[in-house]
Amino acid sequence: MTAQRDEVAYDSGETIPYVDSRIYSDQGIFEEELEKIWKKVWLVTVHESELPDPLDFRTLTVAREPVVIVRGSDGKIRAFLNVCPHRGNLILRQPSGSLTVAEPSGNANHMTCMFHAWQFDSFGRCVDIPRAKAGYQDRLKKEDVALKQFPCEVAHGGFVWLSLDRDAQPLADYIGHAFDIMQQELDTEPLAIFHYHKAIIPSNYKLWHDTNSEFYHDYMHYFNRATSMLQKGYFERQYTAFPNGHCTVGSMEVKYDAYQGAADRVLSFPGMPRNGWKMVDLFPGATYNIRGSSLRVDTMTPIGPDRVMIEFRGLGLKRDTPDEQAQRVRDHNTIWGPFGRNLHEDLLGITGQGVSMRPGSTPRHILHGRRENNSIHDEIGMRHFYTEWARRMGRSPSDPFASALVAAE
Amino acid sequence: MNIVATAELKSVEPAIREVIYRACLLLDDEKFLDWLNLCAPDFKYRITTYSPEIRRQMTWYEQDVPGLKVMIELLPKHNTDHGRLTRHATVYTIDVDPSQNEASTTTSFACYRTMLDGINSHIDSGETQLFLIGKYYDRFRIGKEGPRFLERNVFLDTRRLDKGSHYPI
Repeated sequence: MTAQRDEVAYDSGETIPYVDSRIYSDQGIFEEELEKIWKKVWLVTVHESELPDPLDFRTLTVAREPVVIVRGSDGKIRAFLNVCPHRGNLILRQPSGSLTVAEPSGNANHMTCMFHAWQFDSFGRCVDIPRAKAGYQDRLKKEDVALKQFPCEVAHGGFVWLSLDRDAQPLADYIGHAFDIMQQELDTEPLAIFHYHKAIIPSNYKLWHDTNSEFYHDYMHYFNRATSMLQKGYFERQYTAFPNGHCTVGSMEVKYDAYQGAADRVLSFPGMPRNGWKMVDLFPGATYNIRGSSLRVDTMTPIGPDRVMIEFRGLGLKRDTPDEQAQRVRDHNTIWGPFGRNLHEDLLGITGQGVSMRPGSTPRHILHGRRENNSIHDEIGMRHFYTEWARRMGRSPSDPFASALVAAE
Repeated sequence: MNIVATAELKSVEPAIREVIYRACLLLDDEKFLDWLNLCAPDFKYRITTYSPEIRRQMTWYEQDVPGLKVMIELLPKHNTDHGRLTRHATVYTIDVDPSQNEASTTTSFACYRTMLDGINSHIDSGETQLFLIGKYYDRFRIGKEGPRFLERNVFLDTRRLDKGSHYPI
């Protein structure tokens, strides 16, 4: 055990910490990440406002597992494996909808597998198997083929969290105090979604989380240089690390009107300064980012070592008037969204990294060595992430294959 | 009161069609300020779509003429994908409203991106990919100088735009 722990400690503080680029490109490491990380931890998924009514549903994929999130007839949100226990077909195929609408193969209010019309209610119980008695006699009962249910909670701004691991630690323990910095903004009153889009980028998921975990890349953004880096308070922003790989970034007062055509924010969230800016980065791949009037939440679905889907959501307050929501949308789109000034630049950044770290490319050292007392250009956010990555993977990010050998001995 | 007689309004249909196509060519050539010269001073530009994921209409971009001018002027300060966008458009309908000296049009379009530096220029530059499809829903004000864009709603069918774009569509 001691030898393995020594191998994974890459942030010694004495030299320049680095990671081996193969952690971003190796298929075997990727597969191991799905098993040891993505199938074990709590993941933030959709927002409750995407399922406002009983029997609304959303479908998604987590670590290659098809999942359906359903608001039950009792109003409670649950998560199930979206796979028919009969022949393994997908049950719900649309990204969202309402079970109140009957499908060609089944009745309203049920999830129906279109293949052989097995039907399930919003609690995941199998409620109909066509010609069950004739085909199975008494060898199979509906009670034996309920949909597999996953741990699921609504928390931290009304988001739906789930874990594929039935034995996962409680969500509260996994998150700890990481949301303390944003609790008032997120949980004083209900939020509502106004923006959703997704991007598939030929790059590794961790590279996007790295981007969200360091601000040194503000040199890439003219908008951020003008409105933030040149403004008072920028270099006082502090990273705070939390157990399980999470970290937060403290606020500053952004001077939006320093960018021609942009304006100071007039709307905000409870407890949030109008031009404030806070972030919460969550292991292994989600970020809450509040800039004054809009909350952006990034969630990732790793598809392969060199391919990731990133979903971007924008949220305001549920009680917003149409005019207020329109203002939040305008503020959001100034920098975010597929035509925003900053997001396009960020995605170009990890696209270029993806080019240089294709599977099979020459291993390189990727530096994580900036130390500035945990302030905004310190790379503590990334180092903290990879310390947790090392703990869960049993590999050193700077020497991933040597560590695996040690662990295997 | 009509600025232009009804018969003349009907005859502006070819002019409206030509303005839409001319706008496509100017956007293709990245002559964005020349494109704005085809627009009325109170022109409004939006990029919108409907998300079946969250079951909501969304606005992804919204600007007036001063905002568009600033965005265009600041483009050189931003890192961007310099792949050239090319629009292929077909004007489907032109509905002239003589009482308002206005017209509304529906144009279906596809927008291609010919790659330059967006991914790996050595390998990908010169390749053309379909970037997005959608419809232009335009409104025109018809004056003595001809039709001018009053409003453009770029309604996108394509919702997965990957790294997106800094350019008007």
